Amino acid sequence: MEKIKIQTVCGFGCGSSLFLRMKIEGILKANGVDATVFCGDVGTCLTNECDAIFISEELSERIKDRASVPVFAVKNFMNTAEVTEKVLSFIQDKQQ
Amino acid sequence: MDDLIRKENIQIGVDAPSWQDAVRGAGNLLLQAGSITTQYIDEMIQAVVELGPYMVLMPGFALAHAAPSAAVLRDDISLITLKTPVAFGNAENDPVKVVLCICCKDRESHRTTLQRVALSVMEDGMIDNMATAKSVDALMALLQNA
Repeated sequence: MEKIKIQTVCGFGCGSSLFLRMKIEGILKANGVDATVFCGDVGTCLTNECDAIFISEELSERIKDRASVPVFAVKNFMNTAEVTEKVLSFIQDKQQ
Repeated sequence: MDDLIRKENIQIGVDAPSWQDAVRGAGNLLLQAGSITTQYIDEMIQAVVELGPYMVLMPGFALAHAAPSAAVLRDDISLITLKTPVAFGNAENDPVKVVLCICCKDRESHRTTLQRVALSVMEDGMIDNMATAKSVDALMALLQNA
């Protein structure tokens, strides 16, 4: 199977998306999952090839109806339980 | 280890009656440091107006920034705590007590430092600890030891 690619998205692709990327990378590592995480911006994220998009709740409204991959909205970036649950549920679905 | 954020770029107990004032307060430190022009502060405020208060990433914490632009003279970071918490309009994570402000020349530059800062502020309890820090030195110690 090809390596799973997760895109974290914010307004400009260099601020909060980086925070979310760090959080998700930590969770993947803690759970022994090998996947790539990269940052994108809300304007162009839908044209980037990936298996899932993780984005703040506020911004998710802008893309969720147009995305061809699952979009996971995160309410609180430091809530490890929230982010872990969303990341692992996606990984499990993907691996089935 | 190098300081994650320079001492001159940190201020505690900033008086900001509105979220715009909070963004300006953090942005002004970057302006004084010669890292941005005033245009960048306007761009950060505009970003919240246009994109909504998504920059309030977690309870009590806002990440103020705009896109890399000509208004950014060099990569830099500033951090302020607010005298009184202020609402940005984010139902989940308001009110904001700590504002981190970043400016980047491009998307890749600066990333290593930002990653370290990101991990630091996402530690459990970090925002509350930073918000109640009594001095800039105490705040720096928190960041550095995280």
